[in-house]
Amino acid sequence: MYFIQHIESITHQDSFQKENIWDELKPLTAENQLISPDYKNYIPVAALRRLSTILRMGITASKACQEKVPNEFDSISVGTALGCLTDTEKFLVTINTVSGDVLSPTAFIQSTHNTISGQISLDLKNHAYNMTHTQNALSFEVALKDGLLCIDEGKKSVLVGAADEAIPFLERLRGSLILTHLPFTSGATFAVLSGEKGNSIAFVQACEVYFSTKSQETLVTLINQFLDANNCSSGDLDLILEARSDFRFLAKNHISFTDYTGFYQSASAFALHMANDWLIGNTDDKRILIVNNLESNKLGLTLINRNEVEA
Amino acid sequence: MRIYVTGYGVISSIGENVEETLLALKSEKTGIKQGRKPYTERFKVGEISWTNQELIERFGLTQNASRTALLGMIAAKEAFGEHELSSEVRTGLISGTSVGGMDVSEIAYKDYLKDESDDLNVYKNHSSGTTSEQIAQELGIRGYINTISTACSSAANSIMLGARMLLSGQLDRVVVGGTDGLSQFTIAGFRSLMIFDEEWCRPFDETRKGINLGEGAAFLVLETEETMRKTGKKPLAVLSGWANASDAYHQTASSPEGYGATLAMKSALKVAGLNPADIDYINAHGTATPNNDLSESHGIKTVFGSSVPPFSSTKSYTGHTLAASGGIEAVFAILALNKGILLPNLNFSQAIEETGLIPVKNYSEGHTIKHILSNSFGFGGNNSSIILSAV
Repeated sequence: MYFIQHIESITHQDSFQKENIWDELKPLTAENQLISPDYKNYIPVAALRRLSTILRMGITASKACQEKVPNEFDSISVGTALGCLTDTEKFLVTINTVSGDVLSPTAFIQSTHNTISGQISLDLKNHAYNMTHTQNALSFEVALKDGLLCIDEGKKSVLVGAADEAIPFLERLRGSLILTHLPFTSGATFAVLSGEKGNSIAFVQACEVYFSTKSQETLVTLINQFLDANNCSSGDLDLILEARSDFRFLAKNHISFTDYTGFYQSASAFALHMANDWLIGNTDDKRILIVNNLESNKLGLTLINRNEVEA
Repeated sequence: MRIYVTGYGVISSIGENVEETLLALKSEKTGIKQGRKPYTERFKVGEISWTNQELIERFGLTQNASRTALLGMIAAKEAFGEHELSSEVRTGLISGTSVGGMDVSEIAYKDYLKDESDDLNVYKNHSSGTTSEQIAQELGIRGYINTISTACSSAANSIMLGARMLLSGQLDRVVVGGTDGLSQFTIAGFRSLMIFDEEWCRPFDETRKGINLGEGAAFLVLETEETMRKTGKKPLAVLSGWANASDAYHQTASSPEGYGATLAMKSALKVAGLNPADIDYINAHGTATPNNDLSESHGIKTVFGSSVPPFSSTKSYTGHTLAASGGIEAVFAILALNKGILLPNLNFSQAIEETGLIPVKNYSEGHTIKHILSNSFGFGGNNSSIILSAV
């Protein structure tokens, strides 16, 4: 079992450092901006100036997690679908517009996907295993699976998370390459997982990823097989958090998490936060399934359980 | 449980398959030369001469994609070779890449900046994750697919994650490696960092100035013993050790004493259950930047003390192929294990004053080589070491 010790999110919701994010959650509209915490509390002002949104969010959420747990992370695993888009675009503009041989390297340095996890290790002076995964809409799930594997291998305090940032350029791809009516948003969620129960109220029971999925029929079969492998069935689910709204019929409660996150491809990380905090507020509920079908040819499934009450 | 390598494939500026690669290594022939593209023609690069369209035709590829994906498909197809897909052998693919489809999206983006006449369809190849999905599709792999993007240690980390996925029983077989096509983005980026040598790179040499960039891809097929009983494949090598550690010193520079590198090498030895004295050859990261080679030398000295085994950087052959380098160098290591080869560090003449370490200078065969340590270090202080051993 992989107990959720602490979880932090910076999103377009008022979600940072909250007892229960559901106290603040509202379905998003296109007008909702990213709600940035006071980054100065986590990042020196001089450094802050050169950091893009995705780096600010990732570093701050991770540091806020580290503050809440006693041990240093012995594994850091980060997922990002499109990585550091702001700096990537900035450097593309530079190489096409600045003449001469002397270019500023900052945007290039910060354009690499693993700037997020690297910067986290730098800021925390953390020498542990440090990994960056990028698999489109399953970027969070593959990072989470790595974190779970680290716990199986004996790691004690594992940081997993995901971050993505929106840039205006994405609007040009709406309707052709990106089929969504949701607003493009930014978000970062980081969680500390451990094999020990600690102060957690819930644990990740399992996470699985599937590729080349086709019809909704196949998806239902995959979901049922996944639940079966984890000794439960759809009747045992108290809530489904789904990227779309195809599986309303499978559980008594259903929420499309993208109504709350907007569109970024690692938004299912925020669904983990929603699941954990749902169990804080809904004391009778026990089991939540996150169905990440944001992209139609792949599927991520994550099963969250309330901790057993000890007799 | 041991992890076996049962297939390998490689393409780089020194050869478009394993056989050609071995011939080039043997003849001490570098693939680095004056570039041919508008953005490489002023520099010495390890460029593959074919255009994207030529690659598709020459290697019978079924998809039009970015250069990164195409090179990946070529190497992965060679590695997967006669392996067969079967529902009884759960097969995954993990690929490393640093820039994904940047080589094509940067062209579209240039049109966008000019007059917004960019072909939006091109951007579907941009994401790094998509390059891996395209490579998997070319092989028909539909199981677990993942992409590691930790800059220059990406392929080594993919190899490492593949081994861990097999050990945990989540997969029976996994295709692992990395790929990166040259792009104007990376050339300009490394030039902006002032670690770009306009002459031939000279790893571990006192006069080294920086890297030559290259492109390429390499993949290995990893299987457990149990899987080999089903597939009937013969092992080429054992993947015996792996580790990743964070230097946590600077976003692009390595710590002077090579702290992260030392951690990675020591931990990989521990996973393999080996002592430093068991290592017969080190394929160093050796980018030829002043900072990396000094830091890595210190790390090697910390781990191996006064008896540093033969070592070299083969980036003087291929250029620095970034996310692919750990895969390409793993293929070199397997060749070295099976043929008793010590691979030379081309262009070396003068040891780094501070360390006095002298790499292997000439190609030679007939050595007894049981264990090879291969280092890959990336931006963000991401340090990885893997150990390949004779079967």
